[in-house]
Amino acid sequence: MKKAIYIALLGCAALSAASCNKFLERKPAGALTEDEALKNDADLQALINGAYTDYSNKVYSGKLQWVEDLLGDQANGALYTGDDGEIFKRKTSIFGDYKNGLYTDVYRPAYIGNKVLDNITKATAAKNELEGQAYFLRALSHFDATRLWSQPWGFSTDNSHSSIVLRMKSTVTPGERSTLKAVYESIIADLKKAETLLGDQLTLGNANKWAAKAFLARVYFLQNDFANAYAYADQVIKSKKFQLDASYANRFSVGLSKEIIFGFKFIDNNLYPGAELRNRYRSDVGFSAQGRFHVTSIFYAAATTAGDVRGTAWYSNTLQAGFNVLTKYNKNNFDVPVFGLTEMKLIRAEAGAETNADKATVLADINDILTRAYGGASKNLPDAAVAATIISTARRERELELVGEGNRTLEIKRIGARTGINIDRRGARWNCPGLVLQFPISEQAANASFQMNQEGGCD
Amino acid sequence: MMPKRSLVGILMLLMCVPIFSWAQSKTVTGKITDASNGTPVAGASVTAKGSKAGTSSKADGSFSLTVPAATATLTVSGVGFESQQVPLAADVIVVALKASAANLNEVVVIGYGTQRRKDVTGAITKVNAEKLTSIAAPSFEAALQGKAPGVQVIQGSGLAGSGSVIRIRGIASISAGADPLYVIDGIPVIADAFLRSNSGGMNQNPLASINPNDIESVEILKDAAAAGIYGSRGSNGVILITTKRGKSGKPSYNYNNKIGISTYANKPDFVSGQEWLQLRQEAWENDGNTGKAPLPGGLTWDQAKNNNTDWWDELTRTGFINEHSLSMTQGNKLVKSFIGATYSDNQSYLKNNSYTRLGLRTNFDFTITPKFKANVSLAYNRGINKRVPAAWAGGLGDAMSTALPIYPIYNNDKTWFTGGSNPVRRLNETLWRNTDHRLIGGLNLDYEVIKNLNLRVSGSYDYLSGIDDQWESSNWINDTQKPGIAKRSPYRGKNWVASGTANYNWSPNDDNRFTFLAGIEFQEKSFINRVYVEKNSDKPFYKNKSLYEHALDSIKNTTTPINGPAYNAETFASVFGRVNYVYKERYALQASVRRDGSSKFGPNKKYGVFPTISAGWTISQEEFMKDLTFINFLKLRASYGLTGNSNLLAGRYYYTYYAGSLYNNQSTWYPGNIGNPDLGWEETTNTDLAIEFAVLNSRITGELAYYHKKTADLLLNTAVSPSNSFGDFSRNVEGGKILNQGIELSLNAKLINKKELTFSIGGNIAKNYNELISLGGLSADAAGGGSNDTRVVTGYPVGTNYLVRYYGVDPADGLPIWYDKAGKLTKTFSLDNRMPVGSVVPDFIGGLNHNLSYKGFDFSSLWTFTIGGNIYDGSGKRQAGVITDWTIRRDQLDRWREPGDVAKFPRLTMNTGTYAGLSSEWQYNSTMFLYDASYVRLRELSLGYRFSAQSLSKLHLRGARIFVTGMNLLTFTKYPGGDPEIARDFENATDRNLSPNITYLTPPQQKSWVVGINVTF
Repeated sequence: MKKAIYIALLGCAALSAASCNKFLERKPAGALTEDEALKNDADLQALINGAYTDYSNKVYSGKLQWVEDLLGDQANGALYTGDDGEIFKRKTSIFGDYKNGLYTDVYRPAYIGNKVLDNITKATAAKNELEGQAYFLRALSHFDATRLWSQPWGFSTDNSHSSIVLRMKSTVTPGERSTLKAVYESIIADLKKAETLLGDQLTLGNANKWAAKAFLARVYFLQNDFANAYAYADQVIKSKKFQLDASYANRFSVGLSKEIIFGFKFIDNNLYPGAELRNRYRSDVGFSAQGRFHVTSIFYAAATTAGDVRGTAWYSNTLQAGFNVLTKYNKNNFDVPVFGLTEMKLIRAEAGAETNADKATVLADINDILTRAYGGASKNLPDAAVAATIISTARRERELELVGEGNRTLEIKRIGARTGINIDRRGARWNCPGLVLQFPISEQAANASFQMNQEGGCD
Repeated sequence: MMPKRSLVGILMLLMCVPIFSWAQSKTVTGKITDASNGTPVAGASVTAKGSKAGTSSKADGSFSLTVPAATATLTVSGVGFESQQVPLAADVIVVALKASAANLNEVVVIGYGTQRRKDVTGAITKVNAEKLTSIAAPSFEAALQGKAPGVQVIQGSGLAGSGSVIRIRGIASISAGADPLYVIDGIPVIADAFLRSNSGGMNQNPLASINPNDIESVEILKDAAAAGIYGSRGSNGVILITTKRGKSGKPSYNYNNKIGISTYANKPDFVSGQEWLQLRQEAWENDGNTGKAPLPGGLTWDQAKNNNTDWWDELTRTGFINEHSLSMTQGNKLVKSFIGATYSDNQSYLKNNSYTRLGLRTNFDFTITPKFKANVSLAYNRGINKRVPAAWAGGLGDAMSTALPIYPIYNNDKTWFTGGSNPVRRLNETLWRNTDHRLIGGLNLDYEVIKNLNLRVSGSYDYLSGIDDQWESSNWINDTQKPGIAKRSPYRGKNWVASGTANYNWSPNDDNRFTFLAGIEFQEKSFINRVYVEKNSDKPFYKNKSLYEHALDSIKNTTTPINGPAYNAETFASVFGRVNYVYKERYALQASVRRDGSSKFGPNKKYGVFPTISAGWTISQEEFMKDLTFINFLKLRASYGLTGNSNLLAGRYYYTYYAGSLYNNQSTWYPGNIGNPDLGWEETTNTDLAIEFAVLNSRITGELAYYHKKTADLLLNTAVSPSNSFGDFSRNVEGGKILNQGIELSLNAKLINKKELTFSIGGNIAKNYNELISLGGLSADAAGGGSNDTRVVTGYPVGTNYLVRYYGVDPADGLPIWYDKAGKLTKTFSLDNRMPVGSVVPDFIGGLNHNLSYKGFDFSSLWTFTIGGNIYDGSGKRQAGVITDWTIRRDQLDRWREPGDVAKFPRLTMNTGTYAGLSSEWQYNSTMFLYDASYVRLRELSLGYRFSAQSLSKLHLRGARIFVTGMNLLTFTKYPGGDPEIARDFENATDRNLSPNITYLTPPQQKSWVVGINVTF
């Protein structure tokens, strides 16, 4: 009798071990395990596609651009409060969900890139393509993190200042900051691998060889490494795969732009890029001066000079009475470019002027931009234009072309590092602490010795 | 009240009585009375010594028992009385039972069984039914407040159906749930506070639908000896709920009701419209501006001056309480049954907010053969919670924040004002209702295989269906084309337990008594969401059922599944055993062990083993104590053992991936969760030492207990470097440890104990010392209570207020002065200067009660208190100093206005930049809003009258009592912001663990008065 009881008591053990173990396994609803999810080329590409989607929805949706533009000097932010006000006032703290959330999201491509590299042995036919995209994604994370959370190239003479956390593995570990030099070396190394591994087929939404080259051009340009910046911009332009859009309405459009080297493509029921651009910049629907982009009078005047086609294409001071608003994003849907030909032209023009490269090429680049901007050649630079003129023109046109795309703060820092001149119209030093966002406190929570960025604003 | 008498009777008989003989027999009859006042004692056990024969007394105290002719002695015992050996001198016996010291023979429900109080070696507090139903609490667990030493009960808020945060002997978790395990008649029930996450400023409480009138007793298991049999779920303590069961005898009916009113216990005081305008203007001018300050809400100054809306008044009312409960019990040789039904409607003081409970329970105990017994329990409860948003979600929260007194309710054209917050519009233009249907059923089959060996097979099922219905009018959604929108999102929870136990009683001789228990148990719990449905409708779905059915039908024709996949699924597979040994009725020893496997644990930590050992020594039984006659009872108790806390989220150990929508027409995978094969339970090493006593003719009874609990393998899901691109990762922190140690004292004194007049006072007080000993070197910000500025700081309690220290106002310029980390004064605010400055954990908690009875009258009270600890007013930073579009509490008027002013709060401003270093009004985390949390509250006050048996006999009634009871009638506190008892809405387990006592526009508790009648017939 007692035997029978013991058998009953040890029922679990008496049953087959497998069925008991199965009873003790309950996966989350709808989830697959890693073994089930990552098996082949298609799975790894699906993982990369998820990273693209996330980056489109959470970073290039407009969040990254909005934070950059809050830090910049074009917005009239007197009415911004809460997280917006804190970023605008260039005094971010260890808290602030908006920027802290963005920080986490910026790093997702690096995680996915590393995960793909960890599993690259599962790839077959598409191995090079997958590996190239993985490196591209990792570089994208690290580069965008430096934009907001690190002092720029040239902040210290040997760039040994603490920059961001480099994530080169998919394992979850506490963060350690690297020097900016190491970060840039890593980004460039990743992009050079991507450049070699990726094919040159153009599919908007997927990284390719040209995207890697355009990315390298930008990275070198921000290092004021003009020779390399020129070389890479030159390769992209000379590929003739991209053309300047004749109309300014096309850069943010559904499928009309021919400029986009890498970006996110609107597909109904798939992806709706630019939600936060519409939420933060759009001036025809739901506008409120407390939470949306509108520019200072000074900048408005500079951006709407007589004859500037962009002035009428992209601005209004009547749509919302009393506010100088942007109309660039007044659409329900559009593709969002990350790298475009306009930027490549401006890089080649400025970098060419800096390095005394082929003058005809350099002049053609800046004049292509000017011709489009002013509806003809009236504002074009003459053949005799000196390098300094080309450089200053390129910088001015860059600001006007890329308004609302989160470019201005990069320029305040880059030009400051290059020339020592503070171009910020709010009067801040290019290297003041407030132009760099504070890290989320959770970095320090995970690693007590994590050195946070210096606070203290820009006053 | 006889708890589970049938079961107890069986066990007692099996334990104590030798072989039965069917020789010649005789019948003995008699009556059992209470020696103190001569009233009949019902349910007392009568057994023939030396035989198996036994019965229990009827309601009038009478009994009849057939015993072997040779029987010389009867043993008579009753709950609360000392057992007596009565010689069988006559055929009719009258026994007057004396009240026992500390209810030594009281039967206490323990895990998987029962024990006599004097054999208990663990820390168990029993709370009887009448103490749970005395007040109109929002949910039964709230009624435990102040009634059990070491059990902190913080009622959520004044919202109807609101849940409580219960901490038994402190808090020992950071990221894992720290709520006790709730077990109803053997089934650990669904009690998760986050089933509907945090919606409307409240965590919906799945326990609210449980009918308090069904409950016979609640046993709270506090130490390893008591809770260890629940293994990996025992660390937070266990609340065992035993429902009422049928009693022997003719049908007996009980009807009781409560009718009353409710209002708020406390009301924060806000400035008027005029005052608000003045403050706004003052801030404007302080900032160096001239002219009139701009006003929010699109109002001109003239318009604003004409308004003075008292939003609080507009949103509150006197609530009506209406409860009726009817039950029947009867029993014969074959079956004993209990049938109970309840209807109760408790309106809170918030308009449109109520909880309506409907309950039906049937409990049957069958004696199929003397060896084979079965009992069936089945309860259906329906709870309809009419919801209103509160706190951050609006409603009364708006009245305390963004609904300014200068805003009108209506525009001049009688349309709703929509320029700013208008909670009255929302109240009138939206409806919200949560409906819970809950079915708890169980079947136990008991078979006595051989003498003293009982096998039990049990199956229980706990089913919860929750429906969230919302409706928004066409006005609310701003679309006159639509009649309104009805929305419904249902979920279902399924929870089953199957167990088998064997119980063997072995008494080799009179001095040695063993009880062996062994068992296995399997449990599975999971949830399913039904598809969310939204349709144009002029009324909610519960008033438009055909529309909902139609909508579901049309979904059935699509590819969308009606039911989602099972989520939060968890399983447990367990084996357990327990041995009890009693020697000479004075030495009790217990050892238990449980091995739990769970789907929540990673493959490297799949099974946990939780052993305990404990002992009790009833010193007063020793010969050497015989001379100390003033000591009636003295017992020492000690226990040691391991318990676990497996209250982690389900399915966290897997690396998971989910398919998402297409990208460029290609498929996508998203990582879900960072896996961790080492994920496991938190483990607590418990020590409990206690002394129980009764002195001076048992007039003074009490218990003093010391406990020491060290919890290791702390679960943490935060403090993940965000550059991993994940915000959460569950793991057990190496070296993480929390200490809880404390002392509990409970005392009861019968000051007067006469036949017609009794007066007793009692109370309990507990001191808990809580300290985070280590968190693996992580910093204070490793875990935070949501936005509540509570943190985990090594060397401080879990839930430490981590704030910048405020020194005061500089009388010269009105600007705030702070302490930096080194204690030097500074006028620059910096979050780097945050320090551990307070704690949400009180130093002492307890309750004090008195009971006075004179003839039929009874008058009783219960005061509850907490001493020490802090309240942090999380909304204060929006109400003081920086004048935004928030209303202002009156105590914050004590502000600097001109040079020389000595004030509590700084100069008003409309610009955060005025206070140097402050980045935004949300980051104003300082001791400016930290308060002493001590309070004393008159929790219950009751006056009743019990009619005498004589006066009732004409009415054919067996008993009747009328009463009037008040709840939360008086509150004494230094906190100026309203109610000092706060358990706000929480985001997750970490928030719940770290942030009781943090208020964020939390609605104050309810105060209520009820009158009622309780009739037995």
